[in-house]
Amino acid sequence: MSDAKAVADRLVKSKRLNALLTPSKELRSALTAQAAAARPTGVLYGMPVAVKDNICTLEFTTTCGSRILEGYRSPYEATAVTKLKAAGALIAGKTNCDEFAMGSSTEHSAYGRVVHPLDKTRVPGGSSGGSAALVGAGALPAALGSETGGSVRQPASFCGVVGIKPTYGRVSRYGLVAFGSSLDQIGVLGRSVHDAARVLSVISGRDPRDATCEDRDPLRLPTVPESLQGFVIGLPREYFPTELDPAVRRACDRAVRLLRDLGAAVREVSLPHTAYAVPTYYVIAPAEASSNLARYDGVRYGPRFDGHADLRGLYRATRGQGFGAEVRRRILVGTYVLSAGFYDAYYRRAQQMRALIAQDFRNVFDRGVDLLFTPTTPSPAFKAGEKLSDPIAMYMSDIFTVTANLAGVPAISLPIGRVKGLPIGGQLIGQAFLEDEMLEAAYALERVVPATDES
Amino acid sequence: MSVSRDDVLRIAQLAELDVEEDALPDVAEQMSRILDYVAQLSAMPAPTNGTVKTFVPGPDAIHFRPDEVAPWPLAFGPAAFAPAFKEGFFVVPKLGQFE
Amino acid sequence: MAAGWEAVIGLETHLQLRTKSKMFCGCSTAFGAPPNTQVCPVCLGLPGALPVPNGAAIRLAVRGALALGCTVHPKSIFARKNYFYPDLPKGYQISQHDQPLATNGTLSFVSPERGIVNATIVRLHVEEDAGKSIHDRFPKATAVDLNRSGVPLIEIVGGPDLRSPAEARAYLQTLKQLLEYIGISDCDMEKGSLRVDANVGGSVTQQPMLYDSRENTVRPQRSKEESHDYRYFPEPDLPPLVLTPEFVAEEQSELPELPPAKRDRFAAQYALSREHATVLTASRGVAEYYENVVRAGAEHQAAANWIMTEALADAKDHQDQLRVPAAGLAQIIALVKGGTLSHQAAKRVFAEVAAKGGDPRTIAESLGLIQVADSNVVAAWVTDVLGAHAPEVGRYKNGETKLMAFFLGQVMRASKGKADPKLAQRVLEEKLASAS
Repeated sequence: MSDAKAVADRLVKSKRLNALLTPSKELRSALTAQAAAARPTGVLYGMPVAVKDNICTLEFTTTCGSRILEGYRSPYEATAVTKLKAAGALIAGKTNCDEFAMGSSTEHSAYGRVVHPLDKTRVPGGSSGGSAALVGAGALPAALGSETGGSVRQPASFCGVVGIKPTYGRVSRYGLVAFGSSLDQIGVLGRSVHDAARVLSVISGRDPRDATCEDRDPLRLPTVPESLQGFVIGLPREYFPTELDPAVRRACDRAVRLLRDLGAAVREVSLPHTAYAVPTYYVIAPAEASSNLARYDGVRYGPRFDGHADLRGLYRATRGQGFGAEVRRRILVGTYVLSAGFYDAYYRRAQQMRALIAQDFRNVFDRGVDLLFTPTTPSPAFKAGEKLSDPIAMYMSDIFTVTANLAGVPAISLPIGRVKGLPIGGQLIGQAFLEDEMLEAAYALERVVPATDES
Repeated sequence: MSVSRDDVLRIAQLAELDVEEDALPDVAEQMSRILDYVAQLSAMPAPTNGTVKTFVPGPDAIHFRPDEVAPWPLAFGPAAFAPAFKEGFFVVPKLGQFE
Repeated sequence: MAAGWEAVIGLETHLQLRTKSKMFCGCSTAFGAPPNTQVCPVCLGLPGALPVPNGAAIRLAVRGALALGCTVHPKSIFARKNYFYPDLPKGYQISQHDQPLATNGTLSFVSPERGIVNATIVRLHVEEDAGKSIHDRFPKATAVDLNRSGVPLIEIVGGPDLRSPAEARAYLQTLKQLLEYIGISDCDMEKGSLRVDANVGGSVTQQPMLYDSRENTVRPQRSKEESHDYRYFPEPDLPPLVLTPEFVAEEQSELPELPPAKRDRFAAQYALSREHATVLTASRGVAEYYENVVRAGAEHQAAANWIMTEALADAKDHQDQLRVPAAGLAQIIALVKGGTLSHQAAKRVFAEVAAKGGDPRTIAESLGLIQVADSNVVAAWVTDVLGAHAPEVGRYKNGETKLMAFFLGQVMRASKGKADPKLAQRVLEEKLASAS
């Protein structure tokens, strides 16, 4: 039981980050109870894993960082959580996030913004900012996050930790509160590639409760390779624009040198439709979100808000007051692009563009490229409040991550350097269901990247 | 601006969202900026080869579930989470404008 | 309908598919459970829940499409139909939109006005049902029961081929009969497993109309939402519905003989009139019953007569149950034909077997209804009667032949009704002729 206490102590010590939504007392008793019940034979026995608050758990409330689910206790738990518990892991509370995972800074939470673990004036990234901040602060070896357009990799990059987004269909979405269903995947944030990968391995695999989850065995972890001899790594030129932050560019250049030193063949490639990825994403994700969030109507669960004389009044008051500004904005945009007369110009067009973006990846992978290397984000962690008034500037911080969600391919962000103490992340993008190759390269690169020095 | 005040009201009605009267100009402005930004998609020439491909990730085909009565488990019933529940029913205000 | 104004009606029929579990989750579809007890995360629309399609529902839908002669598409797509309603838990219904399961079929029915009409079936698609809103349960509040939420339905969209409410009714009856026949739906209006909307055009406006087949009336439908902008888009939680040719072929082979073919075969094979064949094939159960009765040895027309009168009348009063087993009815028919039971007595035996079960002959015996056809026994009764009525015998012989009825009555009385009347008359005639 002392393990449970130590775990709780470390988490409680990070309270200033506002990264954990679970009250300390509740966290302590839940950890103690779980530690007593955990199976000692499980591969994650005793490992604390915090869970993003948009993933359903029985032990804790599931609010998605929203007032509309304030106090909501799910009567069932996500398949990923069940698998973690079966492997002996301890569910170490729920992490703060942008409301319904909509955001890139974890400033859009009804429960307050999350503070960057290394610089309290900055954001930890988002939307899985709570998970990234806790792992970044050393409070936990790993945490679950979720990805729709980069919500694991971008905060991992900002907080100096590892973030993996698996192939679409690798991990069950049952119990992950939907945002953009065709883009959403549960991902993992970890202190190291190995910590993240072992958690991913446990939560991956078939699930009869998710029709979009592939009928495959769980991911098998590769061993750390001696070299990357035989790997062909592509550098997509669209991911290294002239306006890229110079420090990020320097860190990437160094990482590429290290990959070459490890024996990988590196060549420049092109993903010509990259420029359309963000607009494509900001049609498809809000469209799906507008439908996915229709169920929050105050009828069956969650709080009701005042001001309803009739049913329509109940809907409008509950949804108008329950959702925050960014969520409301995306629901309105999503409703607009699906509405009569606009569907073809927006949604159908975005679907076509998505096919072209996915084809870009297939084209480079078909020509002998095994993996792509890119920066994870155009810049290190930005200041809190800096992009709040400009949604498009905020959306642009996903520019290098949304493509993997649109194409359904796996990607990992890992630390490749720092600038003025702020971490910089590099991204490896793999082929669908070849996470093992991607992880091999990440293991090798992680071993040779200097830990803290200026790039 | 591509989105008018009336557009916002029409969309808000479809989405069952209250938008405060004084917030309307701001919301219209922000929606316009976002929609103008994503409108660059329609500037791309439409694919000309006739067959327009779309892409959906995940399995190529549905796998069926057997027809068995085996409800996904609920740790507790609706009475425990419903905001208003009486005699086994969810309770909502009368339909009002819906009628 | 006003004179000179011809309605053009197209019906949209929703039918519940006969499955044990719901369309997208493992909850029961059984009717009549206490409210909100057949629910789970999926059909309650809880955050994070996902739909998983029921294979049996798809099979039944494909069978229905094939019975209607539709083209079943190798690939179709589920779509979300978005609207707010308190009994629609997700805020959208999973349905099919621009790529439905099946299109382009036909339903032939007999119009009371125009004879045989081939109505177009525009499309057939699969969807889930909503729950139930009950407006009169609580004052000032609506009660919502989600037991029905997620029950599998097919929607059959008919073309604008119907000209009158009477035609709409005939179309519906034929459709209902067909779908019950192939076993895909109970088509029970009481339980909500059959619902109909009508689109009535013909004048300038195209107002959605509601057709009530029980009252046989058409009235304008009240709009459920102010706007009908459903914002359909492909359901991202479900991969494409891909059906292999083998899957479709299997369902084709599962199709039973359909009513028109069966009617024609009955008329030919059993030498029945078209009317009788139509009645006997109106439901699959009755048709099977008829063939079982015939197979058990009953004469074709007699079996038809018995079923169309006694059996169907009895079934009508007993939830459509054919309560006398086919073998039992065949035996009753044989007892009448063999002279063992009078027709009146046989009806009594039928009613007894229907109510209590058992063997018809045993029942006939226990009720004392067996006709005595042993000429020695009958001759003994005749001898007794003639001996006891010597004056009447004398009058008969003097030409008062109408006394035969009197003698017959006395014999029946002596036999307590068991004497075979034809035999008794013959023996009386013989004895009165010979005893001079």
